[in-house]
Amino acid sequence: MSNLLSVENLTMKFGGLTAIDDLSFDAKNNQITSIIGPNGAGKTTVFNCLTGFYKPTNGQMFLHKEDSKISLRKYTDFKIAYVAKVARTFQNIRLFPAMSVLENLLVAQHNELMVASGYSLFGLLNLKTYRDKEQLAVDKAKYWLDIIGLTHRADDNAGDLPYGDQRKLEIVRAMCIEPRLLCLDEPAAGLNPKESAELNKLLKFIKTEKQTGILLIEHDMSVVMGISDHVVVLNYGKKIFEGTADQTKNSKEVIEAYLGVDE
Amino acid sequence: MEKKDIIQSFKDSLFTGLIALALFGPIVGLRTSSKGEGLFITPQWGVVFLLVGLCILGRFLINLNSARKTEITFFSKFTSKFSAITEDKAKHFAITAILFAVVFPFLPFTDRYFMDVAIMILTYIMLGWGLNIVVGLAGLLDLGYVAFYAVGAYSYALIATTFGWSFWICLPLAGVFAAFFGILLGFPVLRLRGDYLAIVTLGFGEIIRIILINWYEVTNGPDGITGIPRPSFFGLPFKRSPDEGETSFHLFFNLEYSTMHRIIFLYYLILVLALITNYFTLKIRKLPVGRAWEALREDEIACKSLGVNPTNTKLTAFAIGAMFGGFAGSFFATRQAFISPESFTFIESAIIVAIVVLGGMGSQTGVVLASIFLIGITEMFRDLEQYRMIAFGGAMVLIMVFKPKGILANRKPTILMHGDKK
Repeated sequence: MSNLLSVENLTMKFGGLTAIDDLSFDAKNNQITSIIGPNGAGKTTVFNCLTGFYKPTNGQMFLHKEDSKISLRKYTDFKIAYVAKVARTFQNIRLFPAMSVLENLLVAQHNELMVASGYSLFGLLNLKTYRDKEQLAVDKAKYWLDIIGLTHRADDNAGDLPYGDQRKLEIVRAMCIEPRLLCLDEPAAGLNPKESAELNKLLKFIKTEKQTGILLIEHDMSVVMGISDHVVVLNYGKKIFEGTADQTKNSKEVIEAYLGVDE
Repeated sequence: MEKKDIIQSFKDSLFTGLIALALFGPIVGLRTSSKGEGLFITPQWGVVFLLVGLCILGRFLINLNSARKTEITFFSKFTSKFSAITEDKAKHFAITAILFAVVFPFLPFTDRYFMDVAIMILTYIMLGWGLNIVVGLAGLLDLGYVAFYAVGAYSYALIATTFGWSFWICLPLAGVFAAFFGILLGFPVLRLRGDYLAIVTLGFGEIIRIILINWYEVTNGPDGITGIPRPSFFGLPFKRSPDEGETSFHLFFNLEYSTMHRIIFLYYLILVLALITNYFTLKIRKLPVGRAWEALREDEIACKSLGVNPTNTKLTAFAIGAMFGGFAGSFFATRQAFISPESFTFIESAIIVAIVVLGGMGSQTGVVLASIFLIGITEMFRDLEQYRMIAFGGAMVLIMVFKPKGILANRKPTILMHGDKK
């Protein structure tokens, strides 16, 4: 399996506080790589560096593309999603609540549709080329809605959906930009066991059927241990362990980080 | 109702009376009057007690009404019925309204005064629709919209008086200039949101007005620009006695000369301009850029995470909103034939924002209703002179109390997967 993402010596400092300290790890294509750690370990900061919300103090992040590799440091803001094709979801759900479910998925395909609409010109003239492209975008949205079973609610406001459905919708919305790397920030937070199981199914589907690597921050160990191919454990911004789910479960360092050390 | 409730609501209304006394006592009760050399205080306790009594009685009646525990009171019944009509039959309503607007100049009771008010309301509707793109769709609170109205009016006036070009050439030019100023304002405020954006746009509106006052060589300062050419009916001017070699409107159509011709023409002109604005907004809302505006209003960070370029999206909203403001401005200039910075004060911006917000953010029909309600009521009470602003304030309070989300707050999705179920 080919390498998708390599993070090298990533360091992020906020004034005197070192949130991430010399972190290096790899993530592979068609695998789920989980980042776990106690609260405040710097997990979300890693995501914010990867997705261009923060500019890291030091270190490199590369996304491998066939033979070449691109540095994620070069892209900030919206270009991370637009050019580098790194998508993310948020710890607190960030849907467009007053817009319909379908519209949420169409905004995710904004850049393709913008070109198809001739930067609004063809769209205003209502040309067939644009209408066809729009139909394709709707079909793509329908494809993802069928997978998460929300097709019947496509025309309802996203904010009116139950919490679990909103989580799933945010994930498929990120998938609509056809990302090479999907970063999920605590997707199972606030889900009941049944919803977590459905989430696992969705993530496994994405992992196997799509050309997408998944990076996952999660506290819910049933999710992490159930689906992760690779686990990176952080504590106080440092990597303390890296390995498969089973190895992590039995690692002394990890247990100490979570439960404390015997005196 | 129980006895306890009555006593409770009676106490409550007495407390209301106390507040009313504290307010009306000094404001109404103590009236200064000058007799001879000095200034004297004339108490008016009778009026104060009457007002306080009215407040107590009113509060008591409201309490009695709410204690009945029936949810549907008179007003909410009225307003819910009203919005039910407009939401369910939005299309019928729109067609009826447009038809009415088309035949309006020829109705028997329509006179010069009604036409003037109608033109004014239509101008505000157009401005409201233009601002709706920026405030309603893109969610950028712009308190300086009048600046673009001014830019449109002045560019029309300056181009028309300097080069003598016709209205139909100057109109798009004025729109382009205003759009350019929209981008100019847009750039520095890209990072701002909410209150901060509102303050900067407020400042921008004032800057434009102050430039107009002080740049005497170009704008003629506070004296304004006079003699702005009137629009012509496809080359036919509305003049009683046309110049040599020219045919005027009434001669060409063999009509008797009347000043109403020009008024009616102006009326249809602003009606068409407003409808173009509306059509354009309704269209662009359903395009990717329109959806991106609304998405930006909902959550800017989520937009970035999906690869939507917030800079371009905001700038297009500012530019297009400003362009329609510019069109309305050039209409204003050609209608008045005289413009001065006095016409572009902050109160205009405030009225337009009020129309958009009270109409229901992003609702096109809401803008129409709010314009008619706010401008119409203010006009109805014109005899009261400065007190007519009380009517304006009262209209705003009524909308806020009974329709806190605006007259029409329902948003329809721009695209449906399952079609219209109704």
